Amino acid sequence: MREEFPQRAGNAYPQGLCKELVAVAPDLDLASRPSASAEDVIVARGLEKTYTDVRAVRGVDFTIRRGECFAFLGPNGAGKSSTIRMLSCLSPLSGGELTVLGHKADIGERRIKERLGIVSQDDNVDPDLSLMENLLVYARYFSMPAEEARQHAEELLTFMQLEGRSKAAVRELSGGMRRRLVIARALMHHPDILVLDEPTTGLDPQARLLVWGAVQQLKAQGVTIVLTTHYMDEAERLADRLVVMDHGRILQEDAPRPLIERTVGREAVEIWHRGGDDAPFIAAAGDALLLSDRHGDTLVLYAGEPGRIGQAFARSGIAPERMLVRPTNLEDVFLTLTGRDLRE
Amino acid sequence: MNRTLRLLRSAGAVWWRDFVAWRKFWRSSILLNFGEPLTNLLALGVGLGAYVAVMQGVSFLQFIAPGLLAVTAMNAVTFDAGFETYDKLNSSGVYAAMLTSPLTVPEIVLGEYLWEATRAILYGAVFFVVILAFGLVHSWWSLLLPVPLILFGVLFTAPALYVAAVARTHEQLFYYFSLVITPMFMFSGVFFPVAHLPWIVQDIIYILPLYHGVLLTRAMVLGQMTPSIVWQFVWLILYAAVLAYLPVRALARRLTT
Repeated sequence: MREEFPQRAGNAYPQGLCKELVAVAPDLDLASRPSASAEDVIVARGLEKTYTDVRAVRGVDFTIRRGECFAFLGPNGAGKSSTIRMLSCLSPLSGGELTVLGHKADIGERRIKERLGIVSQDDNVDPDLSLMENLLVYARYFSMPAEEARQHAEELLTFMQLEGRSKAAVRELSGGMRRRLVIARALMHHPDILVLDEPTTGLDPQARLLVWGAVQQLKAQGVTIVLTTHYMDEAERLADRLVVMDHGRILQEDAPRPLIERTVGREAVEIWHRGGDDAPFIAAAGDALLLSDRHGDTLVLYAGEPGRIGQAFARSGIAPERMLVRPTNLEDVFLTLTGRDLRE
Repeated sequence: MNRTLRLLRSAGAVWWRDFVAWRKFWRSSILLNFGEPLTNLLALGVGLGAYVAVMQGVSFLQFIAPGLLAVTAMNAVTFDAGFETYDKLNSSGVYAAMLTSPLTVPEIVLGEYLWEATRAILYGAVFFVVILAFGLVHSWWSLLLPVPLILFGVLFTAPALYVAAVARTHEQLFYYFSLVITPMFMFSGVFFPVAHLPWIVQDIIYILPLYHGVLLTRAMVLGQMTPSIVWQFVWLILYAAVLAYLPVRALARRLTT
């Protein structure tokens, strides 16, 4: 797993990692109800969240199907976490409707919480307890029988590659280990839906790979995954479908590839030229051009089909000094939809 | 599952979490909660007691010992509920994690009452052994001491949880300790009978729950149980009942917005 790092927005799938995970936990049954069907497990209609003076979520609709990985993408303050907190029954709705596993989402809705595994943004593992105690104490909150809990806890520590540390104090763990422990904890009660709020924020590449591998394996076992992230490669790699949110609204919804191609085409041409005029390039690209965007000294031209801008440039005799041709990715979609302004 | 049973099971799980955490540090925890009342007992009871011959018919040491037992329990509950709850809310995220499970805020609060009642009995019992060794226990009524201590587990935990929920900084917790708990400790009849104080001061003292707790523990340890002692019980039960729900809303506001 260490020799194969994911390049930014690359498509290298961590094959080795998944095999390794399967190898260490061959009989691990993480999903209580397997088999993916098209059943809708989470349905939101006109969902709203208002804090005292902020409208964090402004009427969003989405439907999440059983067994899929559904991602909420958006800059800070887009309303992702508020949405996640509402569907986790941790925050009351301000408006609209939200159904999770056939029950209306509401604060303390036990029937939903019993079937949801929640990995929140902050690693809220219990600092006074060991790793094993963290899992066993959590199992008690679900009234799990002690013996079953212990056995499953051991399986999960192995699954998250924390075996051999079960007696360690949480204080001794690295950030990546803490996050893995939170994920293991969220799986203690065999949830149908795993909710991950920015699961790899602040993790190093190795830990990110491990988390991704685990998520992919869980999905393969039929667990529905709900994910928020602002890492484009993470969304592109994991999500079957995603929504791009900003300012409390959903801007786009689709599977990653169709969304990318629909919004920014298939190829991006980046041209660096200081203070110059973009018009000649845009004119030369002609009808090959789908969209253009500028940030700083970089002009980005998007094309529906690969190679067409290059051909158009060749015909017009334009040869930019510094030019990069690359496939489009989710980041292009994201920046095109949400703009380049910094968010606090 | 029946609702009451579920409530108790959930509260029991919260109790268990606190117990598992406490188990790691129990020695230092007992030592910390034990040092201060023991110092008071020795310095005041033996030292000052040499100059104060008799108080209400008993030696000064004898007079203050049962009250200090009540104070030990109050402090064991108050400081733990205050600091631990503040950390569970603001740094460790223990409560936030609990709420990702089916546990609800009222169940968590009930669990904390059960745990603090356990602590009150435990730390009260340790102090009891000391005063027993000093020959200061005179009645089998002492066996009923866990009853007021359990009530302490609710009535002193409730305001501490509330303060921890509304406090924005650690310093604000100390306001509660030094402006409420310490004066209560000094004026609740632990060290002197309040009968000689001006009537308005007596009225204020009569409102303090520790005052009734001290009268009750003293009556039990000295075997001076009179029918009017029932009123001290009634007061403690009343306080526990009135305060029990106080922290629920404050905690819910912090945890589920």
